[in-house]
Amino acid sequence: MGKSRYLLKRLIYIIFVFFIISILMFAIYKSMPGNPVDIMLGDSKTTMKPEAYQALYEQTVKSLGLDKPLPVQYFAWISNMLTGNFGYSTQYKQEVINVIGAPMANTVMLNILTMFVVFLISIPLGILTAVRKNSVFDKSVQVLTIVGYSIPTFIIALLAIFLLAVKFPIFPISGVSTAGSTTTGLAAMLDKLHHMALPVLVMSVSGIGGITRYVRAAMIDVLRMDYIKTARAKGLSEKVVIYVHAFRNALIPVVTVTTWWVVGLFGGSIVIESVFLWPGLGKMLIDALLQRDFAVVLTMQMFYVVLSLAGNVIMDIAYTMVDPRVRLDS
Amino acid sequence: MRKNKKNKRSTASMSAQRVLVGGLPQEEEEVLQSPLQMVISSFVRDKIAMTGVILFVFIFLCCVILPFFFPIDLYYQDVTQANVAPGFGMLKVPAQLKNNAQDISVGSSFSVGLDKDGNVYEWGTFPTEKLKNIPSSSETGKLVQVSAGLDHVVAVNEDGQIFTWGNDRMGLATVPMELRTGGNDIKQILAGYQISLALTGDGQMYNWGSDYLLNITYPEGVQGNIDKFAASTNIVMVLTKDGEVVPLTGKASAYTNVPEEIQGDVVDLALTDEAAAAVTSDGRVHTWGNNIKKGLDVPEDIQGQVVSVTGGRYHFTAVLKDGTVRSWGDNTHGQANAPEGVTVSSVDSGYYANYAITEDGSVVAWGLKGYLMGTDALGRDLFRRILVGGRMTMTVGAIAVIISTVIGIAVGGISGYKGGKVDNLLMRLTEIVSSIPFLPFCIILSSILGNSISETQRIILIMCILGLLSWPGIARLVRGSVLAEREQEFVTAAKALGVREFGIIFRHIVPNIITVIIVNATLNFATCMLTESSLSFIGFGVTEPNATWGNMLTGAQNGQVIENYWWRWAFPALMLGICTISINCIGDGLRDAIDPKSKER
Repeated sequence: MGKSRYLLKRLIYIIFVFFIISILMFAIYKSMPGNPVDIMLGDSKTTMKPEAYQALYEQTVKSLGLDKPLPVQYFAWISNMLTGNFGYSTQYKQEVINVIGAPMANTVMLNILTMFVVFLISIPLGILTAVRKNSVFDKSVQVLTIVGYSIPTFIIALLAIFLLAVKFPIFPISGVSTAGSTTTGLAAMLDKLHHMALPVLVMSVSGIGGITRYVRAAMIDVLRMDYIKTARAKGLSEKVVIYVHAFRNALIPVVTVTTWWVVGLFGGSIVIESVFLWPGLGKMLIDALLQRDFAVVLTMQMFYVVLSLAGNVIMDIAYTMVDPRVRLDS
Repeated sequence: MRKNKKNKRSTASMSAQRVLVGGLPQEEEEVLQSPLQMVISSFVRDKIAMTGVILFVFIFLCCVILPFFFPIDLYYQDVTQANVAPGFGMLKVPAQLKNNAQDISVGSSFSVGLDKDGNVYEWGTFPTEKLKNIPSSSETGKLVQVSAGLDHVVAVNEDGQIFTWGNDRMGLATVPMELRTGGNDIKQILAGYQISLALTGDGQMYNWGSDYLLNITYPEGVQGNIDKFAASTNIVMVLTKDGEVVPLTGKASAYTNVPEEIQGDVVDLALTDEAAAAVTSDGRVHTWGNNIKKGLDVPEDIQGQVVSVTGGRYHFTAVLKDGTVRSWGDNTHGQANAPEGVTVSSVDSGYYANYAITEDGSVVAWGLKGYLMGTDALGRDLFRRILVGGRMTMTVGAIAVIISTVIGIAVGGISGYKGGKVDNLLMRLTEIVSSIPFLPFCIILSSILGNSISETQRIILIMCILGLLSWPGIARLVRGSVLAEREQEFVTAAKALGVREFGIIFRHIVPNIITVIIVNATLNFATCMLTESSLSFIGFGVTEPNATWGNMLTGAQNGQVIENYWWRWAFPALMLGICTISINCIGDGLRDAIDPKSKER
């Protein structure tokens, strides 16, 4: 009961935050250079008679609702956005909704795989270093993780390209599939994975650095607790103590960090996508900004906002799941 | 911790002190230190953190102080110096040539020399590997003259046969038939910017290669009457046998504005990229053209004594009657620092260097030795750009951190102290700001607001965006600490004394939590530097011609650059990497020092 009330409260609050941010975005939308009517009418200004153009212009202004007061415009805009009507892309000459599918799939795939790799490596590594605190192994991992999360991803990307694509050409430098490849099914899938390897590797390095440190710190805190001593005193095997008793409690702080990390991961993949020419949302955002295709820009921005807020919701849910005390919080 | 105590025990002064105070237990000795002293001494003992401090301070001081010694013109570009590898070998004349030199010529980033036996030597940084394919002496016979250009070399042998190697595109390899067969009396040859020129003894001039930049047109009556010529990347000028200077161009420019009074009396001619100099028979130098790099400022005391003059890219060198040399003009690379007290027989100047062959055949060189970290695609010195780039990256990071820390302290302090509705409102605001997706938002803001403002305003904008979006973390931290501190007695005392609320928050509580704030600001500084670099890297932060470590890496995004011009990405990446790693180490060390509990992690 308390749990669901708490979640409901958070949800309502997040919707509130969403509207605040959307107002901010609307302000950006209004301050964007270029008159939307001119963009929509395209070159008809030069081909039509002035009077006819003027009439068409006013008609378009009316149809776009630009003659109405700002609050009305805002509600029209936000309801369009929420119903998937993101506007018309001047770059692709299509509705935005029709062009964002493939890039979104690419980005999500890239990030999910990165997440998978990062968790697969950093959680066991974090636990192991916590258990063997101050050993040589722990010390060297500590140094490596500091280096990993300190160096900007694009430098890691340059190094990775230099080593793994130029000096030892194991992986392709950029792109999403081999040019002119006509393979299908499994072969195409493998080709894509081959292209993904380098970006995933690069994105994983900084993720592993950060998450390992957090898992380690959380585990060390937990391992000092009395209930761990009790568990050991009961004669439980060390495995059970670490993975069942300690790790579950260590998860609480880790959850917070990983949620923020995942949200940041999607933002950070903008840089990686532009280095590896990965046709995802980040690259689309940059291309759209360079081409002044603002409908796409706003849609991308909306995606990142929704993602960030979804991260918040997931964090709340995860909290209530891993920490039974949270329900008393509300 | 334990290790540190051991260290302490081993110091003689400490044990002496312990004897004096009657062998106090170790713990109480620690208590005797003030908290701040404890933090400092514990921090100083942290080896990793101290290494970080030393590295960072070193880089910081380099970036702040060195630009005064290595000034940079951000708008400066020079294609002839593009992608030069790091090294200082440009003036390293081979030992075999040193006392036996016949002719030396300065190329863009390499030089070529000829000894008295006709052997060719090349040194410096080679823009193309093809330059190493020197024709064998069995093929060429004895060479007598040599000239180096941007990326090719032209040479002539005793029989007047012309050879060329190096870059062979744009028709540079297609030497005119009559020059290839030999039997000509070749008076002068010159390898220029994608062009080669040759002059025969009967005053006939030939040119091959690309004349796209120079656009050579011969006025009537000039061919067959040419005595000497000079060329820069902009123009070719000839000196006729009648002592007249004739520009070989159809277009009027500052170069074509030859002073009338010297015509007919000129004995030597030289060109730089912005000016021309002519020596008249009375030994005076006359200059005309542009004076941006001070090429027109001929030293007064040499007037009347000049015998001949040569020109580099932005400087002139003159040989005087007594055999000494003087240089003037641009001196960025020391190319105008002519050696004193040497008597020379001939001088060759080109680009940024000079070689003088003395009467006994030895070689004296001055000018550009090379670049510490190489140059980028536009020929800009990477070392200088890394220095100013570092200054820029750190300035942006520092100001962004100051902005975010001030906002964070204000919001966190008020929110924590006041509590209730104010707290609720401010914390909601904090959550809203922290929900904004950081990097996408920065990109959009800088792209939309940034395209209608000047370069400086743009940099300020980046600082503000970073500062305004990164305060929530510090605000939460300050709020938490204030919540803990506000129930302390000293706050109650301050209240009782009637100190105003603002005074209590900012003059009594904040100083007590300043250590926490410093740690956070340090780590924030690293983050801001990273974000700025990322933004600049993808082209939405600080843009060219201003340098930052991020945008210096922008050009290095393709495999070709990564493979062939490693210095273009390795050095900025190294600096940025070292900086962020050491700041993070400092932050970690500070945190450990302040909260010894965290060290046990």
